[in-house]
Amino acid sequence: MTRRRTAALPTPVALLFLLPAATLFAVFVLYPMATALTYSLFSWRGTAQDAFVGLDNFVTLLTTEPYRSQLPRAFAHNALLFAGAMVVQNSVGLLLAYALHKRERLRRLFQVLYTMPYLVSPLVVGYLWSLLLSPLFGPVNAVLRAVGLESVAQPWLGDPDTALWVVVLVTAWQWVGFPLLVYGAALGSLDPTMEEAAMLDGATSRQRFWHVTLPMLLPVIGTVSVLTFIFSMEAFPIPYALGGSNGSPAGATDVMSLLFYRTAFGSGASNAIGVSSAVAIVLFVVIVGVSVLFTRWFRRVERRLT
Amino acid sequence: MNRRTTLAAVTTALVTLTLAACAPSSGSPEPGAAAREGCDGEAVGLDVWSWRTEDVKTYEQIFDVFEEANPCTTVTFQAHLNTEYDQILRTGLTGSDGPDIAQVRSYGLLQPLVEGGNLEPLEDLVPALGDFDDALLDGARGREDGAVYGVPLASQTIQVYYNTAIFEEHGLEEPETWDDFIALNDTLLETDVTPLAVGARDGWFVPTVHDALTAAQYGGADFQQALRDGETDFTDPAYVDSVQTLKDLQKYMPEDVTGVAYTDAQVLFTSEQAAMFAGGSYEQAFFQEANPDLDLGVFQVPPPPGSALDHPVTAGYADGSWGLSATTEHPEEAETLLNWLATPEFGQLVADELKQFSPIPGVEFSDPLQQEMWDLYQENPAPYLLLVDYRYGDPVGTDLMGEAGQKLFLGDTSAEGAAQIIQDGLSAWWTPGE
Repeated sequence: MTRRRTAALPTPVALLFLLPAATLFAVFVLYPMATALTYSLFSWRGTAQDAFVGLDNFVTLLTTEPYRSQLPRAFAHNALLFAGAMVVQNSVGLLLAYALHKRERLRRLFQVLYTMPYLVSPLVVGYLWSLLLSPLFGPVNAVLRAVGLESVAQPWLGDPDTALWVVVLVTAWQWVGFPLLVYGAALGSLDPTMEEAAMLDGATSRQRFWHVTLPMLLPVIGTVSVLTFIFSMEAFPIPYALGGSNGSPAGATDVMSLLFYRTAFGSGASNAIGVSSAVAIVLFVVIVGVSVLFTRWFRRVERRLT
Repeated sequence: MNRRTTLAAVTTALVTLTLAACAPSSGSPEPGAAAREGCDGEAVGLDVWSWRTEDVKTYEQIFDVFEEANPCTTVTFQAHLNTEYDQILRTGLTGSDGPDIAQVRSYGLLQPLVEGGNLEPLEDLVPALGDFDDALLDGARGREDGAVYGVPLASQTIQVYYNTAIFEEHGLEEPETWDDFIALNDTLLETDVTPLAVGARDGWFVPTVHDALTAAQYGGADFQQALRDGETDFTDPAYVDSVQTLKDLQKYMPEDVTGVAYTDAQVLFTSEQAAMFAGGSYEQAFFQEANPDLDLGVFQVPPPPGSALDHPVTAGYADGSWGLSATTEHPEEAETLLNWLATPEFGQLVADELKQFSPIPGVEFSDPLQQEMWDLYQENPAPYLLLVDYRYGDPVGTDLMGEAGQKLFLGDTSAEGAAQIIQDGLSAWWTPGE
């Protein structure tokens, strides 16, 4: 048995090159993370660390108001943001990528156009849309009324039934370029002979998409889904711009990051640092836990297909 | 899907967590403490921090006045971004390169610094504090020990602004009674202007509007005292009535008011599409800048029949004060500066140059509208209740009123229900009488 050479560089040299990044990672990610964990295990008196309380802050989160009702509500909203992003943003992204795949000349142009909103800060995107959707001065309702769709004109951000979906759509508007680019790249790397073979066998274009192209895209769909999950759980700037730190109206757009922000910086509670750190840890555990489970499950599905 | 994706996922998630423990450091250089002309002792530099980035130049001129009288002390004024200030200040006061004197928030948001032992109690150091209005000093008190931790810098009052041109056009006058107030709203409702510019999409604005319109109905300072004494809570009929009044006045506000942003309401008023705006004294500068032709008046809303009080009131609150760092290296010089910050000389500069309500006794305001707002408050003061006493825990009273008010406007709850939301929310950390 011969040992396969797996690395381009000898190990000591590779470690040397990894060192700077690893140091930065340790100082700016691992250290603060460990600090947040320790913060959440202590009670606080303002800025002063008080006694070690073990998991008390987590118990507080789960058993006392306002956290007991706000935490599940915020999580549910994050989950809806994820579901919405999967349905709207990723499926539209995939369709657009597929539509552009065989159109060499248009592809570049539209890829650039669809990714443009990327370049704008999400906070700015949020404020722009909140202006566009204003029931008093917003052009969206004005246009709807002008073309006779008065019944469709809504106080989009003022109604708890529509506000969260506005957040989903605005997020999709900004990020649809992400799945578009990833799926576009994946489509470009697929072996075209597979599709040709299916075509010769008489498969319609719909059959070719569902039974040939889509299964081959599964690994990429998995990756995009996990990243979408993480982005959705971390959503902050767009919900903040559209609904403020309380998730207006009446908490309809409240998400985990807003809850964290309010708990940490918005209250006069003595133990704000302890409880807010616990919120951060819970969010972290959920993101890592679900991401790992989802990845494993997806790998199993993939194996079954291949 | 490979291991690398998992790793990427975990790494990205880790970054979230850094948010929690992110400690912004601020490298404030040691101020140039060179001895100036007229100084025969040791030169000392004092660092003063603030969240008023827009006032840096003016403050530098104001502190020039102090430096002239105290040639050995150099004041370096540093402003940090308002939204990041609290974090920067907490770090600065616990570290080694923090300020000697800093602007600190009022009421609940002051407590983390007091409890952390970052500020010095001031009553013994600044004798002039004894002359301040007691209600405004409450903004600078530690909740547990009752000591004063700041020299009040500014206060805000809440009233109704009106567009005098629109009032004249329709033959309207400042209302003397509740019926007058309703009659003028009805008159305006028949015209193409919105009577009351309100934006309820921003939750924080709802309690401001509520107190501007109904503080006298629930009893203002008397109700505050009854709550403090444990004689009642927020489900009190008088308070419920005041919430009902807010709901009754909704017909004079823009349609779909929960979809209207606070800034939309400001634009509605400054573009003369609305006749009245219930808001804080801090609006005046913006209104006049946004539309210099706007002719403004202010009034207190008369209480409806059956109110707890028989006269109108103006709600007010302390908005920031000057605190002394517990770790200052120059306590004597800092004490001298703090005492100057409590003098009418400084207060007058704040009033004239910064256009703010300095609560220092003896200060006068050159702007007639500003003077009128201040006089109305002095005659019949009331607390901006939910901000003044109910921001010492989580959830804060103003947030609760924001959410309850939005539900009220949406028709998702009644006045009783809204009052119950506030009471239930506050009971997480507050018991009447404690």
